[in-house]
Amino acid sequence: MSSAARAEFAALGYGVGLRPPHYGHVLETRPAVDWFEVISENFLVAGGRPLQVLSRVRADYPLVLHGVSLSIGSADPLAVDYLQNLRGLAERIEPAWISDHLCWTGVGGHTVHDLLPLPYSEEAIAHVVERVGRVQDVLGRRIALENVSSYLTYCDSAMPEWEFLAAVAARADCRILLDINNIFVSAFNHGFDAESYLAGIPVEPVVQFHLAGHSDHGAYLLDTHDHPVRDEVWSLYAAAVQRFGALPTLIEWDDRIPDFDSLHAEARRAALVASEAQHHVDAERRAAAPLAADRGA
Amino acid sequence: MSTLNDAQRLLWQLIAAPEGVAATLAGDADRGGTLRAALTRTVRGDERLDTVARLDIYANMYFFRVLDVLKEHYAATHALLGDVAFHNLITDYLLCHPPTHFSIREAGRHLPELLVEHEVLATHPCAADLASFERALNDAFDAADAPVLTPAALAGVSADAWPSLRFTLHPSVRLLDCGWPVQVVRAGIEGGEAAADPEPEPTRLCVWRQDLVVFHRPVDWVEFTALLAVQRGERFDAVCAAAGELLPDGEAPQRVAVALAGWLSSGWLAERDALGGRAA
Repeated sequence: MSSAARAEFAALGYGVGLRPPHYGHVLETRPAVDWFEVISENFLVAGGRPLQVLSRVRADYPLVLHGVSLSIGSADPLAVDYLQNLRGLAERIEPAWISDHLCWTGVGGHTVHDLLPLPYSEEAIAHVVERVGRVQDVLGRRIALENVSSYLTYCDSAMPEWEFLAAVAARADCRILLDINNIFVSAFNHGFDAESYLAGIPVEPVVQFHLAGHSDHGAYLLDTHDHPVRDEVWSLYAAAVQRFGALPTLIEWDDRIPDFDSLHAEARRAALVASEAQHHVDAERRAAAPLAADRGA
Repeated sequence: MSTLNDAQRLLWQLIAAPEGVAATLAGDADRGGTLRAALTRTVRGDERLDTVARLDIYANMYFFRVLDVLKEHYAATHALLGDVAFHNLITDYLLCHPPTHFSIREAGRHLPELLVEHEVLATHPCAADLASFERALNDAFDAADAPVLTPAALAGVSADAWPSLRFTLHPSVRLLDCGWPVQVVRAGIEGGEAAADPEPEPTRLCVWRQDLVVFHRPVDWVEFTALLAVQRGERFDAVCAAAGELLPDGEAPQRVAVALAGWLSSGWLAERDALGGRAA
């Protein structure tokens, strides 16, 4: 971590999303994974095996709670019972941090169980910022918000997505979980430049990366989490590491889930790509240093 | 937040429409086309994907995400009905019961209730009971934990105190009164047999979780009646009396005692009772 702002988000390394098909393998073999991320809602249950598995995994690994139902941008009131349940789960398992998405998932008391984008407008920024403040008060900690993959844009949007994300993080004093695959998918779907997205996000609030696979539907890309990370996304990840540093990185895989070793191999590849990207940055700095010294002389 | 609220309510209406975005807009066109006008003001399309195509991506994901989860949670019901009938059932279901809970695990909670009234029951009369059974299995899986009552905890209870004991079912216990042997249907499907409706047969089932594993077994009418009395919170003498109404005089105490031993060994009773809060 390169700044005080990131200090409360530990340098966890390279992890994978823990999903039910791998519970038994993880508990029995204790694989050498740096950390796990779990979907918060899967453990907001009264009891039984899910919570027992979570406690046992937590005994051996750092865990991050990653939610999909905060609906921080919904026009509905914040779901107080959901937040209280989430706080209770956090008290129970002491996650390294809690994250969710910069999106809305439902309105009028209904949910679509999906992560819909917001209009990139001052109105939406003000709405989200006020709600993030209340969420962070209830949870007693800063949260990280993730950029979602999206398939539509609003007529009311008055700025690019990266400007919207950066403004929310700055004004709400929350952190950013940058999903590299989502940037790639949305860049294709909306015709913007993915590297411009990275360049438009300030370095300091970014505390974590997500990587995942997507599906190509011709006219659009779909964030399906059912494939290995695509080569183009690995390249974008390397660029992200060069800009933001080798931050905690998590492989998401939610459908057509492979055996654990294949999933873990993706996390090891992330470590390798990050290391090479860091070496590249270091080499550039070393090459630039004599020139700076010459100028100083 | 009127702009945001309006936009989100419009998108929800179109995404959740069971007939799809395009058909909903076509229907709305016959009524003046206000939805399409609002959509055009809200969502931007382009030459690659117009507004309807973009919204359709979300509409499809909404339907198929819920469908996939319900296929998993109601796997035997899905197998019994087949793909097409189950697909149509879920289309009807989402119209009546769009998801409201933050967890998608809850999205199918009301499916058994819908099935009781649904036309598919004409061809698959056991479907509602089968779905109720599968819901009970899912509920037992992550029901609240609770210490179970042990025989040792009852050893010190005096004979005088027994009539006024009130037992509490473990939070994972579900009692089902079915018209078909749905546990046999499910076992057959899981064993690879062709799914088929059995002959009607009154079937009472108990579903419960023990040591994190979900179990089920049929219970006879006497035991089921006693369990219902326990579930209602009645005293032990009333539990015996309820069972006694179905038995020849004098048989109830012995039958309930045998049943109670089974409940204790299977972990159907929670530790707490009405005698000072705990049986032990």
